[in-house]
Amino acid sequence: MTSRLIGLSALGYLAVVIAVLCGAPSGPMEAQLRALALSDVEAQPDLGTEAQRESGKVLYAKYCVQCHGEKGDGAGDATLHLLPRPRDFTTGKFKIRTTPSGALPTHQDLVNIIRRGMPYTSMPAWPNLSDQDVSNLAYYTKTFSPDFSVAESVPKPLEFPAAPASTSETIALGKKLYEENGCLKCHGALGRGDGPSASTLLDDLGYPIRAADLTQPWTFRGGPTRQDIFRTMTTGLNGTPMPSFADALPAEQRWAITDFIASLSGSEVPAYTNLVVAKHALDPIDLAKGAEVFASAPVARFPIVGQIMEPGRQFNPAATSVTVQAIYDAESIALLVRWHDSRADRTGKADPTLPVPLEEEVEAAKPAAAPAADPADPFADPAGAAAEAPPSEFNDAVAIQIPTQAPTGARKPYFIFGDAQNSVDLWFFDLARPDPLQFTGRGSADVVPNDTGDVTGVASYDQGEWSVIFKRPLRASSGVAFVPGGFLPVAFSVWDGFSRERGNSRGLTAWYSVYVEPEVVPSAVGPMVRTALFLLVIELAVIGWVRWSRRSAAERQGREGGSHPAATRA
Amino acid sequence: MNIPVVLAVAAVFTFLRFRRANLLVWAGAWWVGLYVIFRFGFSAPIPASVVSLYMGIVSIAILAYVSSSEQRREEISGPLIRFMTDKRYTALLGATVVAIPALAAANVYVQMNVPLEPPLFPRTVHPASPTEITVHDKKIDLDAGENPFLELAVSHPEEFRKHVENGRRVYYQNCVFCHGDNMTANGMFVHGLDPIPTNFADQGAISILRDTYLFWRISKGGPGLPEEAAPWDTAMPAWEKFLTEEEIWDTILFLYEFTGQKPRAREEVHTQ
Repeated sequence: MTSRLIGLSALGYLAVVIAVLCGAPSGPMEAQLRALALSDVEAQPDLGTEAQRESGKVLYAKYCVQCHGEKGDGAGDATLHLLPRPRDFTTGKFKIRTTPSGALPTHQDLVNIIRRGMPYTSMPAWPNLSDQDVSNLAYYTKTFSPDFSVAESVPKPLEFPAAPASTSETIALGKKLYEENGCLKCHGALGRGDGPSASTLLDDLGYPIRAADLTQPWTFRGGPTRQDIFRTMTTGLNGTPMPSFADALPAEQRWAITDFIASLSGSEVPAYTNLVVAKHALDPIDLAKGAEVFASAPVARFPIVGQIMEPGRQFNPAATSVTVQAIYDAESIALLVRWHDSRADRTGKADPTLPVPLEEEVEAAKPAAAPAADPADPFADPAGAAAEAPPSEFNDAVAIQIPTQAPTGARKPYFIFGDAQNSVDLWFFDLARPDPLQFTGRGSADVVPNDTGDVTGVASYDQGEWSVIFKRPLRASSGVAFVPGGFLPVAFSVWDGFSRERGNSRGLTAWYSVYVEPEVVPSAVGPMVRTALFLLVIELAVIGWVRWSRRSAAERQGREGGSHPAATRA
Repeated sequence: MNIPVVLAVAAVFTFLRFRRANLLVWAGAWWVGLYVIFRFGFSAPIPASVVSLYMGIVSIAILAYVSSSEQRREEISGPLIRFMTDKRYTALLGATVVAIPALAAANVYVQMNVPLEPPLFPRTVHPASPTEITVHDKKIDLDAGENPFLELAVSHPEEFRKHVENGRRVYYQNCVFCHGDNMTANGMFVHGLDPIPTNFADQGAISILRDTYLFWRISKGGPGLPEEAAPWDTAMPAWEKFLTEEEIWDTILFLYEFTGQKPRAREEVHTQ
């Protein structure tokens, strides 16, 4: 009886503890409740308490001030090298919101963006701050713009209906609407960010801005999910040319376009890898056939980062990844390198040794034009004022880098164009020229032509994508040999002429590996059968021996004692 | 320890104890039980090669135990011999004879189809530093030296603040892209780097290093590493190309200040 009482009271205690834990104040829930209350009753600015703002101020001074500045105007120390620029809070313009175009964000919108960050920009996610801290930071952020304290401008969130199912019909409808509503003017017919207006886009402050590559949702500033895409299309991105379609299109049509955009990649995360597998091809590789001969080879995607290690740094490379496929025949190996580029630049010059003045590291982040009163109108007639940007001084280019000599052990050349002791072979393709060239690199400052004529290639640009094929004999007069069954280090560089990338100013990858898969991959059947037979023979031998020795023992016993053999079975 | 796993193994052993299981069952139970504990019983995973080493020792110990007396040998071999000779077990024996080679063949198949992994290079994370380096034509003693601005913290606190603030500026204009806003190595380019940058917020990183060691790593970067630390892969720039000596020292002050850590003090040699 007593034990049951003790058990009950223990249960009761547990229930109380759980209730207290669940009831503890939690930022987002409170904020949601407040938002609910506000939408019902008359809207009041939600500015938090003095203590909340003060707490936010302390956190801001530690974590945010370096980019967003003491005055919240986006002019912090780090701003020098950052594109997109850190948000200027004094304007009250925020990209990722649930509110109408031009409106302020809700408190929860600010909390969300601090918590999640903006992918592929300098705004990181802050997963380790407490809910309270993030909420307090959001309150402090609001102090920079007087708009937040005006009762009339209190934001009213738009309605976001639940997501309908995505079907092949909605995707087809979305594609049609995408074309009819001018999305392709900036984002391009296939969504690669290569529309005719893409090169002219400026944000409100006059900085050049790239149209999102819709085939790479992991780079979307507001997040990669269908809900995120739908929200961005509904609200637009304040301060950028991306408009709101809340009034122009009913929700079903916005969902259809969302489904089409989501279908362009089929994945919310990039399938980055560290290995490209070269497949054996029976027919001799024919460059004239183009990319189709690579159909059987697996696709490897490598991330591109800015070259920020050697002078002439590029902090905001245009390409974020390359995909690579490889095949080889009896004599040659061929690599197909593809990446997205908003425009093919073939009117200038390109060379891995072109100098980049130091000042340009900073100038690249200066406004391209005087701040526009209104964001550039991407829907203006392309034949009108918003004609395409002038031709570029520099060409698009790409380079494959391999060691000159077979690495001994794991020793590789330095991943940026090699080093004095260990040189690299560069297959460099100025995409305005018909053929690639070869260079030898012994460090960024020591790259010299070394054209053996071994490397041939072909390049094509189609709807926002470069496809470049390099081909070289497996064993060549310069550069390491490709041997079936072996791994070799390989790295890539990509230059976007439109972004004035040349020489050291470029996007590059770390060292990855290429594996030359042997023509005949050894079959597992032989070793499997051998192992099984071997074990079977041993088993049968053991059982046979046990039975034989039992029987002979029984017989011996039978002869000696005349007893029944079954007696041994105990 | 992973308590539920350990308790489950203990429960099975208790059950066997009450069932008065024979020695063969016990030997099997010990072998499987210990394997489960090595493999799943610890919250920090034990490498597979170490587990197989342990299991080898366990196998030898069990064999030694069961063969240590005539009676135990009988207890072990009796059931096995019955299994192989008694007509009652013929069907089961046949199934076992087929199953063991089949499992071994399946294992061969799995072994031959492991996903391809490029060759790995084990690298030293904090290799020994040289005793002296030259930065901007000035010799810096890494053994006896220390951050020249550190003493300002006591003598001229206001001057010291200026150095820390300058370090903050340098960090966020140059280092943030890889080492991240919060110094947890989550900068915007980290997904494309291997090895990943140092996480300064980690308590076991800069607090176990002297500030002169950081000066060496920052000024000479990846290319200045010795061979055992794979200088060809790391993206750490040689910052002497971009920064003055003072800027590097200021940045070091800021790193320790932001993370609330202190550089490892020089160890005095006590002579009597």
